[in-house]
Amino acid sequence: MVFGPLGATLAPYVQSSRSLSKWVTPFAHWYANAAGWRKYGYKYDDLLVEENEPVQRALNRLTPAEKYDRAYRLKRACQQSVLHAPLPKEAWMKAEEDVRYLAPHVNEVMKEENERAKWDHMVVERK
Amino acid sequence: MLAARARNIQRLARSFATVVDSTGVKVAAIDNNQPTSSVTVLVKAGSRFEPKDGVANALKNFAFKSTKSRSALGTVRESELYGGVLSTSLGREHLALTAEFLRQDAPFFVDVLTSFITSAKFTRHEFEEYVTPISEGETEAAAHDPATRALELAHSIAFRNGLGRSLFAPAHSHLSATDVQSYAASAFTKSNIAVLGTGIDQATLSSLVEKAFANIATTSSTSPASKYHGGETRVEGHGGPQTIFIGFGTTGAPTAEIATLAAHLSTTPAVKWSKGVSPLASIPEGTSVQSIYLPYSDATLFGLLVQSTSSAGAKEAAKSAVDALKAASKSIKPEALKSAIAKAKFAAANAAESREGLVNTLGSKVFSGSDASLESVLSSLDSVNAAGFSKVTSALVGSKPTYVVVGEASALPYADELGL
Repeated sequence: MVFGPLGATLAPYVQSSRSLSKWVTPFAHWYANAAGWRKYGYKYDDLLVEENEPVQRALNRLTPAEKYDRAYRLKRACQQSVLHAPLPKEAWMKAEEDVRYLAPHVNEVMKEENERAKWDHMVVERK
Repeated sequence: MLAARARNIQRLARSFATVVDSTGVKVAAIDNNQPTSSVTVLVKAGSRFEPKDGVANALKNFAFKSTKSRSALGTVRESELYGGVLSTSLGREHLALTAEFLRQDAPFFVDVLTSFITSAKFTRHEFEEYVTPISEGETEAAAHDPATRALELAHSIAFRNGLGRSLFAPAHSHLSATDVQSYAASAFTKSNIAVLGTGIDQATLSSLVEKAFANIATTSSTSPASKYHGGETRVEGHGGPQTIFIGFGTTGAPTAEIATLAAHLSTTPAVKWSKGVSPLASIPEGTSVQSIYLPYSDATLFGLLVQSTSSAGAKEAAKSAVDALKAASKSIKPEALKSAIAKAKFAAANAAESREGLVNTLGSKVFSGSDASLESVLSSLDSVNAAGFSKVTSALVGSKPTYVVVGEASALPYADELGL
């Protein structure tokens, strides 16, 4: 995987430029709502591809409450998918609750893996 | 020969200086020009001070995990590159973090030790992924060793709280990383830390430690003074030898007389393949009696650990152990006392030869700020006389016994059957 489990992103670049983020942020908000995951009660991190080692390890690091809530959201969305209907509007995921609860853990795991690779492939030189 | 040896030890002891350096951490170093060095950071964070069962054990297992300066993996890999060994051990009073390394690598290893004290992260995932499995494994292993179980139970009935707390986590504990973190925050303070170095120059060690510990708090942990209670307990044990522990405790600073009594009753022969001349040499085949002497800063637990393959054998051995103990406390022959003192002195001096033993012997002395040398231990043994010996031992044996049985609880004897 070239870009890691979190995929490629231009967000840091956009956020680093004030004028660019001013133009892009409204579009980003519109896109997040239009993509429809919030209508099914998902948070963005629920959509992360979890069938790989780093994300599995990151999932293990969630607190029991976070794990429970994630399982609940996944089940509820499956049920809505069976019904071919989004949730009633009051149950949609609010924008302020749609936080990256998993991404920090994935980043942490990736950092550890990179460090391990660094130690595995280092060359020791005599001073 | 003996005199020459004693002189040697005194020379060794004299080079052991204790300083309270400018940052308030006690540092002691001894250098015998050995090729490797070791540094032990001794913290008053043993199970005695823990606020919740098993926190001290978890803190021990958290050692050398990620800190602000390097990750857990980085600590291990970098130590391997330098060829050092990192280890931890937990006692009832002290937690010891030890690094052994080649002489020139002192700055790195002192940094590994001190960064755990000053900036350990105590992350939740490390607690769950690494610390909990080790703690559980240690508890499991201890549960399968009757001697360890007997000693743990003996401590808990002898001292109840404080020293009575177990070195191991309970089988089903509800600890979290934050519990460990708050315990560490309260324990890792200047007055709770002593640094002992071997094979390292005192000035070098002081300067390294001084820099690292400049910014830590200065409060000190306290625990209520120990009180000896005593009592009897019997637990069923499956597998392993039938075990009886007959113990007696006192409070106050450990005395040389009890160490002498332990040496007198010790069954370890001086010559290989012999049974020795201890008063307990005539116990039946397949049984063993060990004398246990556990000195703490304000209490002592002395006892005889009887182990046997059969409960009948254990009973017989325990009976003769109690008889020997009572006989020794009533009156002891002058030559027997002399050899017991010599044996105790050798045991104390020999223990200080190894690094672990040195830390055990001198650790509490460094904390109390007293003369951190073997001399004081040996001279206190020298001053043991028959009158003092019989006074201390009869008072000890007169106290309420701590009696623990692990094994076939229905067949093993009760305390009163042994005449306790």
